[in-house]
Amino acid sequence: MLLKRICWVSSIVLLASFAAQAAPNVEEGKNLFIANCAACHNKNMKDNLTGPALAGVEERWAAYPRTDLYKWVRFSQNMVTEGHPRAVELWAQWKPTLMNNFPGLTDDQIESVLLYINDVANKKPTTPAPGTDTAGTGGGSGSGTNMWVFAGLALILALLAFALMRIIDNLSNITRVQAGEAPVNRTLLQVLTTKGAVAFLVFAVTLIFGYKTVDNATRMGRQQNYQPEQPIAFSHQLHAGANKIDCQYCHDSARRSKHSLIPGTNTCMNCHSAVKKGTKSGTSEITKIFASIGFDPITNKYIPDYDNWTDKQIEDLYKQWIGQEYIASNSLPAMNDAGRSIVQDQWEGIVKALKNDSNGKIQGPIEWVRIHNLADHAYFNHAQHVAVGQVACQKCHGPVEQMEEVYQYSTLGMGWCINCHRETEVKFKDNDYYKQFERYHQELKDGKRDKVTVADVGGLECQKCHY
Amino acid sequence: MINMHHDNGIWVSTEDLNREESFLQSAEKEFSVENMAETDGQWAASRRDFLKLMGFGLGAATLAASCEIPVKKAIPYVTKPDSIVPGVANYFASSFVNGSDYCSILVKTREGRPIKIEGNSLSSITAGGTSARAQAMVLSLYDTRRIQSAGTVENGAVSKLSWQDLDNKVKGQLQLGGNIRLITNTIISPTAKKALAEFTAKYPNTRVVSYDPVSSAALLAANEQCFGIRGIPSYKFGEADVILSFDADFLGTWVSPIEFARAYASKRKIKSVQGATMSRHYQVESHVSLSGSNADTRIQIKPSEMGAAICALHNEVAALTGGSSISGPALSDKAKAALKKAAADLVTARGKSLVVCGSNNVMEQVIVNKINDLLGNINTTIDFSVLNNTRQGDERDMARLIGEMNAGQVALAIVWGANPAYELPNADKFKEAFAKVNTRISFSGVMDETTALCSHAAPAHHQLEAWGDAEPKTGHYSLIQPTIAPLFDTRQAEHSLLEWAESANLNRDDEQPYYQYLKSHWANDLRAMQSKYNTGAAFWDMSLHDGVFENPAGPRTVAFNSGVSLNSAGVTQPASGAVEISFYETVNIGNGQYAHNPWLQEMPDPVNRTVWGNYLCVPIEWDGNKKMNGWMNLNDGDNVEVEVNGKKLTCTVVRTFGQAPGTVSIALGGGRESGGCGVGYGVNVNPWLPMEGGMIQYFAKAAKVEATGTVDKHFACVQHHHTMGLAATDAKGNTINADEQVLAYQGSLTDRSVIFQANLKELPKLAEKLAEFHQHSDHLNTQTLYQDNVEYFAAGVKWGMYVDLNSCIGCGACQVACVSENNVPVVGKKEVARHHEMTWLRIDRYFYGDLENPKVVYQPMMCQHCDNAPCENVCPVNATNHSMEGLNQMAYNRCIGTRYCANNCPYKVRRFNWLDYTTADTWPANEERLFRVDGADVPFYADNLVRMVMNPDVTVRSRGVIEKCSFCIQRIQEGKLTAKKENRAILDNDVRSACQTACPTGAIVFGNLNNPDSAVNKAAAGVGDLAYQVLEEINVRPGVKYSAKIHNS
Repeated sequence: MLLKRICWVSSIVLLASFAAQAAPNVEEGKNLFIANCAACHNKNMKDNLTGPALAGVEERWAAYPRTDLYKWVRFSQNMVTEGHPRAVELWAQWKPTLMNNFPGLTDDQIESVLLYINDVANKKPTTPAPGTDTAGTGGGSGSGTNMWVFAGLALILALLAFALMRIIDNLSNITRVQAGEAPVNRTLLQVLTTKGAVAFLVFAVTLIFGYKTVDNATRMGRQQNYQPEQPIAFSHQLHAGANKIDCQYCHDSARRSKHSLIPGTNTCMNCHSAVKKGTKSGTSEITKIFASIGFDPITNKYIPDYDNWTDKQIEDLYKQWIGQEYIASNSLPAMNDAGRSIVQDQWEGIVKALKNDSNGKIQGPIEWVRIHNLADHAYFNHAQHVAVGQVACQKCHGPVEQMEEVYQYSTLGMGWCINCHRETEVKFKDNDYYKQFERYHQELKDGKRDKVTVADVGGLECQKCHY
Repeated sequence: MINMHHDNGIWVSTEDLNREESFLQSAEKEFSVENMAETDGQWAASRRDFLKLMGFGLGAATLAASCEIPVKKAIPYVTKPDSIVPGVANYFASSFVNGSDYCSILVKTREGRPIKIEGNSLSSITAGGTSARAQAMVLSLYDTRRIQSAGTVENGAVSKLSWQDLDNKVKGQLQLGGNIRLITNTIISPTAKKALAEFTAKYPNTRVVSYDPVSSAALLAANEQCFGIRGIPSYKFGEADVILSFDADFLGTWVSPIEFARAYASKRKIKSVQGATMSRHYQVESHVSLSGSNADTRIQIKPSEMGAAICALHNEVAALTGGSSISGPALSDKAKAALKKAAADLVTARGKSLVVCGSNNVMEQVIVNKINDLLGNINTTIDFSVLNNTRQGDERDMARLIGEMNAGQVALAIVWGANPAYELPNADKFKEAFAKVNTRISFSGVMDETTALCSHAAPAHHQLEAWGDAEPKTGHYSLIQPTIAPLFDTRQAEHSLLEWAESANLNRDDEQPYYQYLKSHWANDLRAMQSKYNTGAAFWDMSLHDGVFENPAGPRTVAFNSGVSLNSAGVTQPASGAVEISFYETVNIGNGQYAHNPWLQEMPDPVNRTVWGNYLCVPIEWDGNKKMNGWMNLNDGDNVEVEVNGKKLTCTVVRTFGQAPGTVSIALGGGRESGGCGVGYGVNVNPWLPMEGGMIQYFAKAAKVEATGTVDKHFACVQHHHTMGLAATDAKGNTINADEQVLAYQGSLTDRSVIFQANLKELPKLAEKLAEFHQHSDHLNTQTLYQDNVEYFAAGVKWGMYVDLNSCIGCGACQVACVSENNVPVVGKKEVARHHEMTWLRIDRYFYGDLENPKVVYQPMMCQHCDNAPCENVCPVNATNHSMEGLNQMAYNRCIGTRYCANNCPYKVRRFNWLDYTTADTWPANEERLFRVDGADVPFYADNLVRMVMNPDVTVRSRGVIEKCSFCIQRIQEGKLTAKKENRAILDNDVRSACQTACPTGAIVFGNLNNPDSAVNKAAAGVGDLAYQVLEEINVRPGVKYSAKIHNS
């Protein structure tokens, strides 16, 4: 009977894990979504972003032919002007935000995207909110499977315990009967309220709560997977991934300072004085850079007294630029309502991104949301790791070149640091600084030691990081 | 000479000598529990407190409930300057100039804010040394009480005017044509003088009136008489074999102390035991100055006997050199005999000796000049080819000005840098006369006593915000450059002058007009003096980079004017009977100029070890039996009423060894009335200073002292805090270990070894004794259960320090540097009185020799980074532990505050954060209110402006944790990283501790003990057995070595 149950439970577990990766087009849908939709639609499919959350999109369009949905994706604004009821409803809800046109997407591709949307919408979120750290990275589905196994095991053990208790009851009844006493038949409630059971319950609850308390206290202030919305939809995937710009081109002080440094707007301008429109975002994001530093994209000149410009001046200039580009890219004879709405929309984006709370100015630095917040009492030096240790950025920051929007990859907890220091080998022979560790050199030579780790040269000592 | 038996002959105080119960108790307690619950009536909870606590409670509850992490922003530059890499410090060469003080400095800035002062080794004057005053200047930049805009002054407050309005008003007044007077300290800036010249040209009725906070007028006048030069020559202490100083504190405050200290110490260092030589130093004085405490022989005289002593020395020297004698006033036989011996030494070292005098009596200075002439020191150790320009003021000019002002002849006065309403003895008369001036303008950056009397404030930049230059010695030019944009709406003083002079040379359209003005002066006028750089731009860039441009004049010989007659009637005539009082300048507060700097206020006076105020030093007398008592049986902290010239003040007593019998003394600079956090500490003794021939005398012949029966309950003297290693005698007369006696068991060792000292003549004997001691210690230390950990430390670097007690003069620059580097909080007088001072590095003062006129040893004491550290193995949470680099590490976030480590530390160098000193306590009763923000007084570090001075590489500690010297771990890590990045071995210069870089005499050497060629190893090896570890015999294996103190008497 027991064996049968185990088989039953494990087959459920297996089935569940297969189900997660069923349809063949999801992968394509994901790629298409990231390339085309992710700029406006939330990747978790549940929350609104610039555009609405896409979960349940098929149900919302179920009353109309499937082709209407395809058409909406390709030429949404046309459907609004044509007066399609669902389109008008959406426009009323979301105006003045316009959905970009995607005339290039095939029906199959749109189906793939829809599959991906459903897939994500029906799954648990993979990027938990700050403070809800998960073990390891990106292990959403894995931990789900484990849960099933544990639940199954717990059930089996509970049944086993119950069965044992019945056996004990029966056995004691047999002795009672043999001794001439009447057998006692305890109800389930009676069994569960025995001293032993209650004590076990109290013990278990204490243990679980204690574990959870310590575990949560340790994680307090940590924010692995923290992925805040940034003022500019800057894509590391595009810059570091597709365009293969070296990390240290922008984060240039990583090799010389303790800070890796978020680049100043002037660094952006090294390229963006030429690249004035984004492949995906058009004018909406890059214009923010211009507005920060005071670059006139129409004349290709920096504005000399930009500090003294009024908001109105700035608004006029960049609205003109956005409008001009809209007309050019859509080959329009003159500005239309949709264009005006886009201009207004993008201008508001600029204001939102740049307006400084303290001085109320639009021009000036871009206030990025800081993702990696190391505790104040921990000293970390990028130069030590990047220039001396030659640790790849990805080792701590994860596959940034694949991140559309950056999130915190590592825990940044002390245990995580320590583990790496224990394992990482020091560039011992290549750096003359380490010549002074004569004993280690001798041991390496004699074969008594196969490597020198950071821990061996004092990398676990308190005052390497805390002073 | 009175000598009591005391092991090593070393003692710290009367209580120590007398083995008083109170002392033993005090030594027992690392932290005083007296006044612990004392609240000064501030305890009663106010509405604010209630709201604060409620707010805190709610806040804590909310925090605990949600644990939301606040969103933090990362804000990059728009256009990142090439020179700034966030996280990497930039250094700018500049100068510290204040009144008579000068130091060439490097300003360390982080992300555009100055945080630390270092010495500039390119200057031949200061050669990389600094003073406590220079170190502390960075804090005064971030003073919340600075004047924040130009305006009119009403009731001690500035009501804002725009600079243009002010300029119009002032120009209107200037153009009326009345007499204009500028009241300044000595101006040593060539470009400022040029600006002044333009101003004077525009308004010919202008006259500049200069005086110095502490006058050298007599010296200048005497030099003019004797050599035809009204100037101060270069004194070459580094070439003098015998030095005699009449009350000139040349190591602490007199003329150019950083320069003198370095030169002096170079002749005092013991380089090897065999054939060791050092200069001999006599000091003739009544109170114990920093120089006097370092002297080989102190000759005690009463202040009024100065003239007699100078005449006596003159006659002795004249007798030996064939000069004619003069008839001077009578002097005690004891002093006479001592001076006779000194004269013999001086004559033996003819041409290589030096007599200096701090007196402000012209005839006395003339006779001293004659003595130097007789000794052949003129043109050798006294060099007139390069003059020291830092003191050119003359208070007689001020007297004239007061007359003019009283007569209504002055229409407009500008006060620049000076504070006559406080500094002058006749400040009352000055105030009265000053009120008669129609327009009174102050350039002062703070609302000091004089500015409060002005009609207009035109606040100048702080020096770290300003451009400028200095010529401290002729031909030695030094630049001042801004290291931060002005924090407030202030303006360069020179700019104001040029603006008001409507100068055509000031380009008002420029962002920094005075910068262009200064640059053009350098690029044109100064460039012409050299030939290395052809263009003005190249010369300017070089000078700005180096901070100094030195073009000393060629040799110039002078001769003593034979026409000068020595008239002993002109010297001070001894008074009889009455108690005399002398007034002196301390190394930290000056004549009050630095009273508003908390770092300097909390730096103990080197000699009497008091903080936050000035105290009346009274002599200590031997009762003829076995006890040392304070004069009049006064005790430390007793309040007395002192009457001088009919003016009474209540002072607090500190008993001082070496104070001449029949005299008392008190420092200048206390009792400031306005301008900053120094208000309310000490008493203002300037009104007591008598004038003699128009010159300020720094002593009074009669003082009446009466006990009041009250005590200063916050008497703050750090001498008895954190004591260690004291020997004493028990009731049976046996030598015992005081610590052991009062603390019960602490190491079971009796012969403690903290200080070793000897006469130069007995040097080989001391070396022998120390060799035996080392051997004995070795023997003891090998009887250990601990395994030898030599191999553990052999790999890589092992850090260590060597402190040469013979070079250490006790000036305290290292202590302030440490405070500045390591974010050490200021705790205020009340907290210091409770033993709560937080300084990581203290300078212990020990006495030895004659009980009534002892010699002094200064010992910088910081964490010794013991390899067998007693603190480490008592920590229950392993918050303090050892690194393989030999560092005793302290992890603040692990510390739970048991203080076991502090109890177990034999050196008493661990400090506990009793209160939240760095972030302001929730309860106002706890901390002294030192700063003022938005009209409310707040504790130190509690406002964002002062916090800008903090070193971002050092954690700010919170309440309840222990902290201590880390050997500047942040500098170590930075230095190692530099070496690693450059792929090379680590060098001595990569890592220099803050105390090391601050030291003007090179007494502190830090480095890698594993490298046999490192400076620290070489320095310690040089003195052989003279190098010892404090408490070497207790097997804690400290990482710091000291050298024995040698005197040459």
